Amino acid sequence: MIEYIIKLKRKTRNMLQDGWVWKMAWRDARHNFSRLFLFVASLITGIAAVVSLDSLNNSLQQDIDRNAKELLGADMVINSGRKLEPELEALFDSLKHAQANEADMASMVLFKRSGQSRLIRLVALQGDFPFYGAVETLPPNGYSLMREQGYALLDETLASQYEVSSGDTIKIGNSFFEVAGVVTKIPGGGGILSTFTPSVYIAMSQLDSTGLVQFGSRVSYRKYLKTESDAETEALEKTIRPEVRKYGHRYDTVQERKEELGEAFQSVYRFFSLLAFLALILGCIGVASSVHIYAREKRDEVAILRCVGSSGWQAFNIYFIQIFLLGIVGSVVGAALGLGIQQLIPLVFKDMLPVEVSFAVSWKSFAMGIAIGTVVSVLFSMLPLMAVRFVPPLAVLRADFEPARIFSKARIAVVALIVLFPMFFAAVQTRSVLIGLAFFGGLAVALGLLALVATLLLFLVRKYFPTNSSFIWRHALSNLFRPNNQTRMLMVAIGLGAFIITTLSVVEKSLLSQVEFSGQENQSNTVLFDIQPSQKDGVVKLMEENNLPVNQVVPIVTCRLRELKGRSVEEVQRDTTDRVPNWALTREYRVTYRDSLHLSEELIKGELQKKTLGQDSVWVTISEGLQEELDVNIGDSLVFDVQGIPVKVHISGIRKVQWSKDPPNFIFVFPTGVLEPAPQVYVTATRVDDQQTANKFQQELIMSYPNVSLIDLRLILSTVNNLFNKLSSVVRFLALFSIITGLVVLSGAVINSKFVRMKENVLLRTIGARTRQITRITLIEYAYLGIFSALTGMILSIGGGYLLTTFFFKIQFAFNPLELVTITVGLVLLTMLIGWWNSREIIATPPLQVLRKES
Amino acid sequence: MSQYVLQAEALTKTYRSGSGSLTVLDTVSFSVQQGNTISIVGPSGSGKTTLLGLCAGLDVPTSGIISLMGFKLNAMSEDDRAYIRNQYVGFVFQNFQLLPTLTALENVMVPLELRGEKHVRQKAVELLVRVGLEKRVDHYPSQLSGGEQQRVAMARAFITEPKILFADEPTGNLDDENALHVTELLFSLNKQQGTTLVMVTHNLELARKTERILRMKGGKLVEEELVGA
Repeated sequence: MIEYIIKLKRKTRNMLQDGWVWKMAWRDARHNFSRLFLFVASLITGIAAVVSLDSLNNSLQQDIDRNAKELLGADMVINSGRKLEPELEALFDSLKHAQANEADMASMVLFKRSGQSRLIRLVALQGDFPFYGAVETLPPNGYSLMREQGYALLDETLASQYEVSSGDTIKIGNSFFEVAGVVTKIPGGGGILSTFTPSVYIAMSQLDSTGLVQFGSRVSYRKYLKTESDAETEALEKTIRPEVRKYGHRYDTVQERKEELGEAFQSVYRFFSLLAFLALILGCIGVASSVHIYAREKRDEVAILRCVGSSGWQAFNIYFIQIFLLGIVGSVVGAALGLGIQQLIPLVFKDMLPVEVSFAVSWKSFAMGIAIGTVVSVLFSMLPLMAVRFVPPLAVLRADFEPARIFSKARIAVVALIVLFPMFFAAVQTRSVLIGLAFFGGLAVALGLLALVATLLLFLVRKYFPTNSSFIWRHALSNLFRPNNQTRMLMVAIGLGAFIITTLSVVEKSLLSQVEFSGQENQSNTVLFDIQPSQKDGVVKLMEENNLPVNQVVPIVTCRLRELKGRSVEEVQRDTTDRVPNWALTREYRVTYRDSLHLSEELIKGELQKKTLGQDSVWVTISEGLQEELDVNIGDSLVFDVQGIPVKVHISGIRKVQWSKDPPNFIFVFPTGVLEPAPQVYVTATRVDDQQTANKFQQELIMSYPNVSLIDLRLILSTVNNLFNKLSSVVRFLALFSIITGLVVLSGAVINSKFVRMKENVLLRTIGARTRQITRITLIEYAYLGIFSALTGMILSIGGGYLLTTFFFKIQFAFNPLELVTITVGLVLLTMLIGWWNSREIIATPPLQVLRKES
Repeated sequence: MSQYVLQAEALTKTYRSGSGSLTVLDTVSFSVQQGNTISIVGPSGSGKTTLLGLCAGLDVPTSGIISLMGFKLNAMSEDDRAYIRNQYVGFVFQNFQLLPTLTALENVMVPLELRGEKHVRQKAVELLVRVGLEKRVDHYPSQLSGGEQQRVAMARAFITEPKILFADEPTGNLDDENALHVTELLFSLNKQQGTTLVMVTHNLELARKTERILRMKGGKLVEEELVGA
């Protein structure tokens, strides 16, 4: 009979006051640091990715801001496709602002010493350009030699590619120039464009002597203006805007250039942010998974502590302190590693950037990395650690005792925070709530799809289980369905890495297949343009003498739009409701005439271009892209200004053009019998298969016809290839974070199911299995896992790649099966290696040791 | 205050198993006075360990009342029961249950440290000397033999001078020589500190060293024997 009840007055202490939990945290951790390796590894990889990408973003942003004026070299620049009209020149002269002029055009250069030639961008400069920043040359006096003594300067890449040095002679057009040196930095120049077409710089006074500026030559003119203040720039903009627009020219201010560049880089930032987001999420998965394993391992110890009187919170605090402190250490190491990686990325990127980026250490990113790492380590370890609170002391008597699941408000709050955190991070990272939500939604969909594919694969394996295969193969496969094996989670994590890498491969292959026409039989890979009518027969003869096929000799007539659907261009410009872009109205059109379709064309609507009798007799075809821009349809009329003569035409049909296939290709194609009397130049195309023939032909061409330019498409292809290799190496490097985290999760899963595996192996060995057989079972199990993970990623990447190429890049979808197989095999081998490495102890444990422990 | 340190009244424990339920302890009642030694014996699955767990507050009964040192354990939270264990209870288990990451000395100090007491080292060392482990103070459990581990567990159990000690097959994992040594220590410390002892064992010879024997079968208390009566 119970006689009375004593009311309990228990003193409770918080974590900071309770010295015992700190002492126990240290005592327990002394021998457990290695057990938390997975936790720290996940955190370090995730945070390193976040910090490196964020720091890179910050550096780029800061440097673009800092060097904004140097991007332009002036406060304002007027761009024009022809010489500025005398009225405009008079207007600029009246404004009294400092001015400088530039003319640039495509041209061939011949390197006299080596005899090699190449298409370049010839830049002729006049005046005190640049007004901001400086033209840096090697030797330092190169720029003044160029401006004052008629020397030429070369882009650094061009000089090193053709081994040209100061004092060498080059031939441009009809003139020979002595090389003063190389340009290492020029405002507004460089960057990715110079990778495609490197520049040669001369003084404007030398341009005429080259004889390159002829009828039909495509020359771009720029006028640089310097003002004394931003207010003056604004005033200048107001004054010149109507005049400049009237003539169809464009102008740029520093602010506009900065915005344009900002927009261009916005997608880069977003791409980086997305990668950082993915790496962090995988890091979070790694943290949660590794702490889950750790907490499970600690179950017995917690039960003992509970037995001798520790409260649930005290037990929780012991491990929380360890995770928290180690989380800070991991975050600091991850952030430091991230800064280190950030210093490496620019080495790959430096040629592609428009400004010289200092890549200074971003302490903001460093601090943010530590803060995020600490939050991640606390938040994502909280859920598995909470389980420690509810470890029943009865577990000391009954090891397999599992208490009923306890509802805890704290647990609900943690789950809510775990869902909110990625959303918040994505919003901060992209500086937009909407994009942040989109990232989160995208991730949820991607992870959902990955999980779905993984589930489906596992379901199919179960349904069509190979019951007749050998024991080892069957047993390894059935291991995938072992409790606690986290097979689906692993397939998602490793699959995500595989997805990123294979999607990149698919997009890369699709893009490259657009320019790989040069590899196809009989297609042109060399285009010659700016051929004057008098030179046409000579150039064709030269091609024949070099045994080169003459694939096309196409006449080109330049013209501008005067009227669109019965309204003058000026009227359309003034009409604010009209959405036709100004550039489409004012640009110079290079058209041709013929009566048939070219092999790169397909008539998708209407009829071919034709000339009929009577009025409205000229019918032209238009490419589908520009048909949309100009908003014209079959039967609509246009009036072209062909060298001062108005020519009225009607649209007879719309062509779909594969622009990269057998160039040149055209927006407008006229019928024969209309433009023949107009001034025109010719373009021809051929196919050159070996470099020796190319060199010989180019040299002969430049000697006889210096004004004729030549594009070697093979060179462009190799440049595109090169560029892609650089880009993809960066992306692959970042995707590797995802794979590494996946493998960290894999290691965790192996350790998690370690004891179950040990017991199973011991039983197998007791009944006669040899170590070799057990090793084979283990390896095959991980091979299955690797194959399924890579398959999961690959199936999605083919879908994702198709969507990206079709709807985003708008190019033909293509993929290289061999590369996908290579990625799969690589991933499978890596998974097998990690799995085997972590299982060595399991395989090597003597049976008795486990049986004793069991007893 | 009552002279009973432990009172169990109609204790029943039922586990859900699949769609049905399994009663492992069926209306067991008994009480233990301060300083008494009792043992609970019975075949495997008779409910001995479940009864010990309930009495020590490691679990709660499905029905019935359990009172330890006057505290009604049923009504308490798990953390309150942990506090009671820390203040009044000592444990010795068959598989020793030492914390593997702590040295022998640290294992012994833990219960007092949990109370927030300072300068516990000396007391822990004295107890380790008392159980004959003065040279094993800084060893980890994995570096000790089974008998030594059990002696550390006893030092840990007695360091708080508990009112009641629960022992679950304390010699179950030991050879005869070690079992004898541990048994002698157990009873001698018990006597020295005037502790109440509740022991679960298969070993009737060991059970006969206590004052009372409770026999369990099929979850019921079937017999109570006063040793030497």
